[in-house]
Amino acid sequence: MDICATYERKLQDEQISPPLAAILSLSELCATSNAGTMFELVKALNEGADSLRRNSSNPISLNAGCELFIAFVTLFPHDSVPSASFSELKMELVKQGETYVRQALTYRSKIAELGVDFIKDDSVILTHSYSRVVMETLMLAHQRSKRISVFVTEARPRGLGVKTAEALTAVGIPCTVILDSAVAYAMEKVDFVLVGSEAVVESGGLINAIGSLNIAIIAKAANKPFYALAESYKFHRLFPLSQYDLPSHNPRILSFPTPIEKDRTAEKTLSSASPNFRSASGALSSTTQEEIAKNNPDVDYTRPDLISLVFSDVGSLTPSGVSQYLVGMFH
Amino acid sequence: MAATTTSTNETPAASSSQPSASSSQPNATSSQPSQKSMSKAERRELQEKQRAAKLAQKQQPQTGDTPNKPKAKPKTDSAQRRGSGAAEKTQSSGVDASAMDIETATNKSRSLRIFSHFGLTKHGHGVKGDIHPCIIRLALQFSEFRICGANARCIATLTAFKTVIQDYTTPPNNTLSRHLMTHLSPQITHLVSARPMSVTMGNAIRQLKLEISGSDIDMPEQDAKDLLCQKIDDYIRDRIIIADEVIQDLACKKIKDGDVILTYARSSVVEKVLLSAYKEGKRFSVIAIDSRPLLEGKALLQALTSAPPVSWTLSRDSLLPPPPPIPCTYALLPALPSLITEATTVILGAHSLHSNGAVFSRAGTALVAMMAKQHSVPVLVCCETYKFSEGVMLDGFGKNELAPSHLFQTSAQTPNLEILNPLYDLTPPSSITAVVTEVGLIPPSSISSIPMALGRITL
Repeated sequence: MDICATYERKLQDEQISPPLAAILSLSELCATSNAGTMFELVKALNEGADSLRRNSSNPISLNAGCELFIAFVTLFPHDSVPSASFSELKMELVKQGETYVRQALTYRSKIAELGVDFIKDDSVILTHSYSRVVMETLMLAHQRSKRISVFVTEARPRGLGVKTAEALTAVGIPCTVILDSAVAYAMEKVDFVLVGSEAVVESGGLINAIGSLNIAIIAKAANKPFYALAESYKFHRLFPLSQYDLPSHNPRILSFPTPIEKDRTAEKTLSSASPNFRSASGALSSTTQEEIAKNNPDVDYTRPDLISLVFSDVGSLTPSGVSQYLVGMFH
Repeated sequence: MAATTTSTNETPAASSSQPSASSSQPNATSSQPSQKSMSKAERRELQEKQRAAKLAQKQQPQTGDTPNKPKAKPKTDSAQRRGSGAAEKTQSSGVDASAMDIETATNKSRSLRIFSHFGLTKHGHGVKGDIHPCIIRLALQFSEFRICGANARCIATLTAFKTVIQDYTTPPNNTLSRHLMTHLSPQITHLVSARPMSVTMGNAIRQLKLEISGSDIDMPEQDAKDLLCQKIDDYIRDRIIIADEVIQDLACKKIKDGDVILTYARSSVVEKVLLSAYKEGKRFSVIAIDSRPLLEGKALLQALTSAPPVSWTLSRDSLLPPPPPIPCTYALLPALPSLITEATTVILGAHSLHSNGAVFSRAGTALVAMMAKQHSVPVLVCCETYKFSEGVMLDGFGKNELAPSHLFQTSAQTPNLEILNPLYDLTPPSSITAVVTEVGLIPPSSISSIPMALGRITL
């Protein structure tokens, strides 16, 4: 069975986020695997998780799901199904995995219920990129007839902010797309920042689409609350010390290109010859949007001291509360 | 303390009889009714008088422009006898001893008055019961700083206790589970008199007490003793040795090629982390910051630079030369500001860790951590969970220890100059990024949830 294809298929569903897709594909792997013992099964699952990780450009959020499922399998009481064969146990695991995912899909509305109380009437909210759980919270606030208006960042390179703006405008929430570089300008008018997350880590910090850290720092400087929304399956046992300590980091990211000496001299002679030619070559082929995006990180890590609260289905937690929950969860 | 007020009250009277005070004092006290027959209040009064007399005597040479010769004498036995509390403790052992104590106490309290509680050690002489030779040896090693460091001291103590337990026989009409602790208590008291107990020792001894009181009454004595020794071995293995190995693994993951690791003084765990990262083939350099009076960083530097050379390795059919040893920079604390900018990660050790996330560690650690925080360098503290203490500590003044000045004499003694060398300081949780424990990397704010996670109510 091709676990990566399964994963991609599961992700097609608009409601399924990467960790859940990982859980579903691993439980499917569980069903199809011919492992005869627990040891073999866990080994197969670890291999599946490895191949998922390898084939993903940003393995952080799917890894949270993989870890959760494998921890669940290893801690699953073997005698929970009395006098059952191993294949029945496997079926039980699959069933539990699916039940969990079904349950997990209700988490967003739970979080929206928690978060909506923090949205006052007439507030101006800044959000970043596109997040399902943020959308649900904003929609709920709108349904509760709170007059909110939303700034959303464009969120380059993927430009998902436009998607948020379109969806919000469609339901009648006033929404403006702002440039990523205009966050500091807009912050003065903003009441609080509301972002989703890819993963919440052990330090209580946050891993989210690139640009979240900028927003968090600016919000801190302007003394505006910075709220994060995260389902509990995004809690991840990871402790990044810096941006360069993230698992998504690779040497290619933000690497310096080797300058080509020859070109510079050539250009000099050319520019002295004809200034027009130089401006044409100034827009080097390597400065297209795609080329820039290629060597740039997808996600960044927001430190816990920049975050006011994390709303999740287990409650509204302070960053240190998140780490306490995580310590408790994996021990 | 009350002593200061009473002494000023009595000074005029005492100084009037000053000339004869020094010589006549023992006689004067011996003419008093014996110590036992005096009431507590009387005894205190007597003591205050003696103290006042001594103080006056000490002040006198200064006013009289005579060179103060007697100054040099009491310096040598500084750490042992300090503070009036210690003097009161020993009073029962004889008037002469207490008079001497008071002399040193007044001498010290002039300069170290607010720190006088630091070196407050109990005296080993007054301990009842016989002390096992291995405990006496260990106490000497502690007081001479031959065995130093939280882990080493804990392991040494537990190992010595194993010998004590094996050499112990339950007296008739008693049971091991009830009597052994009364046999161990004087041993512990003797150790504490050599050097104040570390948190690690305290935790281990508490666990040992629990095991002793829980041991089966009906078990043959030798079996019970063997079982206790087994328990001690398990404790050393699980909570210290294995824990250190897990910490090594976790901390090594945070060291990457090209990193510059800054560390302070010497921690056995940090040393192991750096050496194992080196063995894993990581290429990094180390800045070892050190400080007087202990200069423990030298030992770390020695260990790192004389790392057992990795032999030639075979890789893809070609022999690779052994990697060069870890490049190390050694500097003293004042050089820290110029070196901290080079560092990518700061890794520190700990003496103990408190519930509020504050780290109690070698004096100077707080400075390093704060400086790193100022420069946004992540600070990792390597600390096993058995070093956790349930208490909350707010600063390094409440409880500390002084480096005995006779061991770490730094410069020529100057009259009227008392050197204060606290051994520890407290790093606030705000300047620590994460604590590396055997249960994972944990932000200092969440430390309090660990004992619960380990399923323990008390450590």
